[in-house]
Amino acid sequence: MLSIADTQLAEATWIMVVKSIVIFAVIFGVLPLLTVLERKLIGRFQHRYGPNRVGPYGLLQPLADVGKLVSKESFRPENATKTLFILGPLLPVLAGVLSLAIIPWGDVQDGVGLYGIDVPIGILYFFAVGSIAFYGLLLGGWSSGSKYSLLGAMRSAAQLISYEVSMGLALLGVVMMSGSLSLVSIVHSQGEIWFILPQFVGFLIFMLAGFAETNRTPFDMPEADAELVQGFMTEYGGMRFGSFLLVEYMEILVVSGIAAAMFLGGWMGPGPSFLDPIWMLAKMLGLVLLFIWVRATLPRLRYDQLMSLGWKVLLPLATLNVLVTAILVVVT
Amino acid sequence: MEEVLFFIAAIGALGGAIGVIAMRNPFYSVLALIVHLFSLAALFLLLTSAFVAAAQVVVYAGAVMVLYVFVVAYVGGGGESAWEPIPGQRFLAPLLGIALFIELAVAVLSSSLLALGEDGPHVQAGFGDPAAIGRLLLEKFLLPFEASSILLLLAAVGAIVLASNRRQENA
Repeated sequence: MLSIADTQLAEATWIMVVKSIVIFAVIFGVLPLLTVLERKLIGRFQHRYGPNRVGPYGLLQPLADVGKLVSKESFRPENATKTLFILGPLLPVLAGVLSLAIIPWGDVQDGVGLYGIDVPIGILYFFAVGSIAFYGLLLGGWSSGSKYSLLGAMRSAAQLISYEVSMGLALLGVVMMSGSLSLVSIVHSQGEIWFILPQFVGFLIFMLAGFAETNRTPFDMPEADAELVQGFMTEYGGMRFGSFLLVEYMEILVVSGIAAAMFLGGWMGPGPSFLDPIWMLAKMLGLVLLFIWVRATLPRLRYDQLMSLGWKVLLPLATLNVLVTAILVVVT
Repeated sequence: MEEVLFFIAAIGALGGAIGVIAMRNPFYSVLALIVHLFSLAALFLLLTSAFVAAAQVVVYAGAVMVLYVFVVAYVGGGGESAWEPIPGQRFLAPLLGIALFIELAVAVLSSSLLALGEDGPHVQAGFGDPAAIGRLLLEKFLLPFEASSILLLLAAVGAIVLASNRRQENA
């Protein structure tokens, strides 16, 4: 038994395998629908229809898109570094799939925990895995041998380290209130009140940092198309480009899942316990809608504004939040 | 399973470490160092220290190495300098390296090899989880912990002072 897995609940290997396949299948079934949802909603926000030609309500649009991406030539610039160029899109996909494992979909039912793994280091696992994703993006940008890609990758490097600190500090308040790092225990400790109320500042900082970590508007600096073409993705085509896009949606789902588990009571909701995963998915989708809504509403920040927001506003605010929470936890 | 993982991580750690000094291009050296750090994290994981492994990845691979990559990718590989910064370095460095290797080999051969046939220490439940490490840091090793945090604070203040001096000179 590896020490990373939860030692209190020993599950048979085949259960773990089945769980992994189910989580993978469900998420990869939801991901294409998210792309349609986003395009349809953005269309409505901008007074147009959005995709509505392929299949009923345009629902088969992602299938057509994937077909197009797969059939494209896997182009590689002449001065690109071959191995690293191929490795670039692989690492973020790996990291995204790995971080799906800790999202809790429900409590232990009939001896089976409705989550991938319940690691004792909990939320630290999310940050550790997230740093792998970052290398994929950086390698992709560097190895493309193009100045747009390099600049995009460098921007995202600076952006990610700036916002990761605030993100960690924002979650620290929740960790202190529940007294555990494990996501399953954190959901359990929200039986009385969801942490979004006592930790509202933490929630706001986490979501803002989440927008930045997933490279979404208003922080989509690394791929600011007006100045950097497509940032680190510029030289990618075909399914390699497709996997960068896929990862963006996967990261949105993961960040929404972590936020739902840490602030919105995770799987808790009225009704029998087999509805738990549905509640979790519903809360996640609610947060995904927030991501889309923000993208349609806000313009992109300037780069120096992004940096000063991260370091001069979010970081002090998150530190203050941690201090106040620590004092309150000790006093009560 | 654990044996296989150990050898994969060990090969990764050694290969990464050799790669750091063997690569001509500094960018590849940094990448090799990242492979090395990830392999070390895997070894910590095998030693039932999930927290140390996560801290290793988050702090070193996630934050420190990002800065390395940042600098190397921006400044680029300047190639090797034509002169030796320290006179005689070319001869001293291998000698000191061999001396360190002999010292480590003596230490490993005299202690660790004896324990090869044994089961190893008994690990109690909760060993290496965040709560246990936190208790150790804030109870048993409070003084060293606070001393190192003051050292880090001093370094941070020093960095800011140095940077702001330079900015005034430029202005």
